[in-house]
Amino acid sequence: MKLSQREINDVVILEPKGKIMGGPDATLLHDKLHELIKDGKKKVIVDLAKVDWMNSTGLGILISGLTTMRNNGGELKLANVTDKIESLLTITKLITVFENYDSLEEALNSFKT
Amino acid sequence: MPKVIKEPGKIIIPSDVAYLQMLDEFLEETLRGFGVSESDIADIAISVTELANNAIIHGNKENPEKVVDIRIKLINGAVEIIVSDEGKGFDTLALPDPLTEENLFKENGRGIFIVRSLMDKVDIKIRKDNGTVIKLVKKIKRVHK
Ligand SMILES: Nc1ncnc2c1ncn2[C@@H]1O[C@H](COP(=O)(O)OP(=O)(O)OP(=O)(O)O)[C@@H](O)[C@H]1O
Ligand SMILES: [Mg+2]
Repeated sequence: MKLSQREINDVVILEPKGKIMGGPDATLLHDKLHELIKDGKKKVIVDLAKVDWMNSTGLGILISGLTTMRNNGGELKLANVTDKIESLLTITKLITVFENYDSLEEALNSFKT
Repeated sequence: MPKVIKEPGKIIIPSDVAYLQMLDEFLEETLRGFGVSESDIADIAISVTELANNAIIHGNKENPEKVVDIRIKLINGAVEIIVSDEGKGFDTLALPDPLTEENLFKENGRGIFIVRSLMDKVDIKIRKDNGTVIKLVKKIKRVHK
């Protein structure tokens, strides 16, 4: 997995690419999410368009990022969830927990109100 | 630290999550060779990296002298994978349900649940003082090559 980051207005967009399976680069995503909170960032979108799949390590990172964000008055949203990941979110019921959008644009707009 | 052993249908890795990437490459290469569809390859790679994470972290406790052994073969239209570690095992009946309200927001505890939903058969054997052996079976749709 590779991780890139950009910012549009006050929204941080994280774009992991590849597979989130555990190991050093999963730690990178985990640490990044927690670093954003420390930097006072409260609006985060994880764009999953380029993630082939993830296992429970990836799901754990997303849920811990979400919880930490919410505990600090922020929000983490998902965009472009691919079929494989959507079915994992469904079987684990995490689909009910995350706000997720079919495009980055819709996710960005949802932060505007 | 033991070295990686890689042969057709077999890979043995030291107990370090840094080797997961190599395991995934081995799985993809082997499964493509079997003619398995991309969707089934993903389900199998998700499940096997799940079990390898468990074997490395919970089983072998990241002891670099201990290894995780992964075998994979194609029989009767199904892929069979066996993942073994050298740990102390666990109580498979005592696993918490990751779907309850109190567990839903937890960072961990979904691995085996996911494997059970993606695979057709999951058979867990705890060998006393001799590690955990988990056999997975996934019926596959083969693609023409
Ligand atoms: N190979 C193993 N050896 C010893 N204990 C294991 C092994 N595999 C699983 N366990 C035990 O079973 C529990 C559940 O495993 P599972 O993969 O479902 O969740 P997890 O590893 O705790 O979290 P997650 O996989 O969601 O990150 C583990 O916490 C561990 O106690
Ligand atoms: Mg696990």
